[in-house]
Amino acid sequence: MGITDIWTVIILRPMLNALLWLYQVLGGQFWLAIIIFTVIVRTLMTPFMLPQQRSAKRMQELQPRLQELQKKYANDREKLAQEQMRLYKEVGFNPLGGCLPMLLQFPIWIGLYQSIIQALGHQPLQLLNLSQNIYAFMSGIWTAIPLNRYFLGMDLSLTPQQVGGLAFALPVLVAFTSWLQARMTTSTTPGGGEGQAASMNQSMTLMMPLMFGFFSLNFSNGLSFYFVVSNIIGIITQGFISGWEGLLFWRNLSLSSILGGGRANKTPSRSTAAQAEVSADGSGKGSTSERKKRKKKRRRKR
Amino acid sequence: MQRSRVLGVGLVLLLLTLVLSACGAVPVPQDWPGLTVDGDSVYVSTGVPRQVYILNAETGVQEGTFAPPTDSSGIIYWSPVTLGDGIAFVGIAEEQAGTAHLYAFDPATGQEHWRVPARNLILAAPTYAADGSEHPSGIVYFADTAGWVYAVDVETGSVLPGWPFQAEEAVWAAPLVVDDMVYVASMDHHVYALDTVTGAEIWSTSVGGAIAASPVFAEADRILYVGAFDGRVHPLRTDSGELVSGFDFRADNWIWSEPLLADDVLHVTSLDGRLYTLDRATGAVVPPYPYDSAEITNAADSIRAAPADAGDAVIIATESGRVAAVSNAQRLWTWPSGLPEAQIYTTPVVAGDLVYVVLMNGQVQALNVETGAPVWTFTPPEPG
Repeated sequence: MGITDIWTVIILRPMLNALLWLYQVLGGQFWLAIIIFTVIVRTLMTPFMLPQQRSAKRMQELQPRLQELQKKYANDREKLAQEQMRLYKEVGFNPLGGCLPMLLQFPIWIGLYQSIIQALGHQPLQLLNLSQNIYAFMSGIWTAIPLNRYFLGMDLSLTPQQVGGLAFALPVLVAFTSWLQARMTTSTTPGGGEGQAASMNQSMTLMMPLMFGFFSLNFSNGLSFYFVVSNIIGIITQGFISGWEGLLFWRNLSLSSILGGGRANKTPSRSTAAQAEVSADGSGKGSTSERKKRKKKRRRKR
Repeated sequence: MQRSRVLGVGLVLLLLTLVLSACGAVPVPQDWPGLTVDGDSVYVSTGVPRQVYILNAETGVQEGTFAPPTDSSGIIYWSPVTLGDGIAFVGIAEEQAGTAHLYAFDPATGQEHWRVPARNLILAAPTYAADGSEHPSGIVYFADTAGWVYAVDVETGSVLPGWPFQAEEAVWAAPLVVDDMVYVASMDHHVYALDTVTGAEIWSTSVGGAIAASPVFAEADRILYVGAFDGRVHPLRTDSGELVSGFDFRADNWIWSEPLLADDVLHVTSLDGRLYTLDRATGAVVPPYPYDSAEITNAADSIRAAPADAGDAVIIATESGRVAAVSNAQRLWTWPSGLPEAQIYTTPVVAGDLVYVVLMNGQVQALNVETGAPVWTFTPPEPG
């Protein structure tokens, strides 16, 4: 059994058949099956995604201290690296902590993508491929082939360029929801546009949505549908973790805020206020020790 | 330093965009080569390379080609070639240009007679029917993947009044003409009976599964048999479209090909990799069948191609690229003896002493029908 076969057996077939089962249960509406399937997959992946999102937030909180270190050791890269590692160790932060969950998610995303593409297949070789990946106990779906791939008259198996008209709204929606999600993640970044990390954040906030919007122009509408649903779920999850301020994108909307979530340096959010506290003495220890002192005082009073 | 890092991130994202765009684009429509044997010639139509090759049936020597008059470098889709009244008909779709036409050309010179536009890809072979009265050169019927069925006067190249007829889904099966009716099987699960001249729908019947191959007609009791994606073979009465009761057969996967009616039994291949021989009245599998093609290599295989009648044996071609002659559920011979070069989805054709097969890479192989020994091979030139 080759790697491709292992992939098919472990990832693709279970996901594809789950999608087909949902299609059957939901009355033969593929768009609805995509939505429910995405919600289920995202829910199942929450334990993997939360550490990543928390890690991103933690990293942002450390930015002021990292920037100080960068200024302090601007001419000594080795020392800078040592100090950064010392800081991470001191606050118990693993810079790679967010990467592993992200890597774990990749097979799921690719499997989900392949499932949607394969289920939407309606040309001879595509359907031949589909026939070989349907479980024997799912033979009830045979009578539903080819699947109903239309949503509001739009063929979900075609690209926006092939369909035209309303379908071009999908890449725009994909780009917008991606941007909103990225903005919510970066909106808590203190100091706005300072430092390398902030610059990279700015690039990512703009580039990623544009990239996904571009993908969507060339992908089937069904996959764009999935991107939009997935982004909305990501926005909701991020909202619960780091607050909903990022959703108010129209406040202080300017070119710079579009390019990099610049609002954050004008209107400090709950978390930026907390970070300001963390960075009050430049080391972050002050705020922590102050909290401890306050706790001790409260105990003494009792 | 800062600028270079930002630039680096941008470049990585751009690269990722290009890579993912390449592997993530909607899979292009795909089908398999067409193979037609008519008299002394073999016609092979395939998008790669972009030609209809006309070969000598005895020697495999190339005698002619036909290519659409286009500068398009995009993917081209071809239907199998059909011959009638000395004219060859082939459906050609150019994806880049977004056009599809049925071409009529002279098989001897490759000269185009006329072309008729279609609304989508033409994957099924056109069907020629002689019609002595109003259309002395006959009528050619063809269908496209948008579900439209056309009837064209061969003499003038014009679509007949009342046509095209539209099915609800794609038509991948060649229309079947019997007497004054055209039977069209569609991916919308229906078989339609249309008037050969007016295109009026006489009846339509849903069989409960998508139909990708043409019906086969049993003249003795005027019944049509169609295989469907529900894994079943459905018998229908030609006069009313009514499903014949008491017939029950279901394979372990879809039936994609037309059944073969020979010696009053039905031979049916399925994507489950088996060849079934069925009682025509009840659908019961006739012992010692089924024959499982997994027996050839001890590995699961699939059969898209329809079985071909070779007298005492039935020829099957499997997805993995193997051709076998089967008689009484026993394999008589297999080709190739080693590893196959490419997959086979096209139905083999038996003519005279030879079996013709075309592989997915466009290679044509003629085999001795008794022994399976290779007689000649035609390998199309590399594109470009």
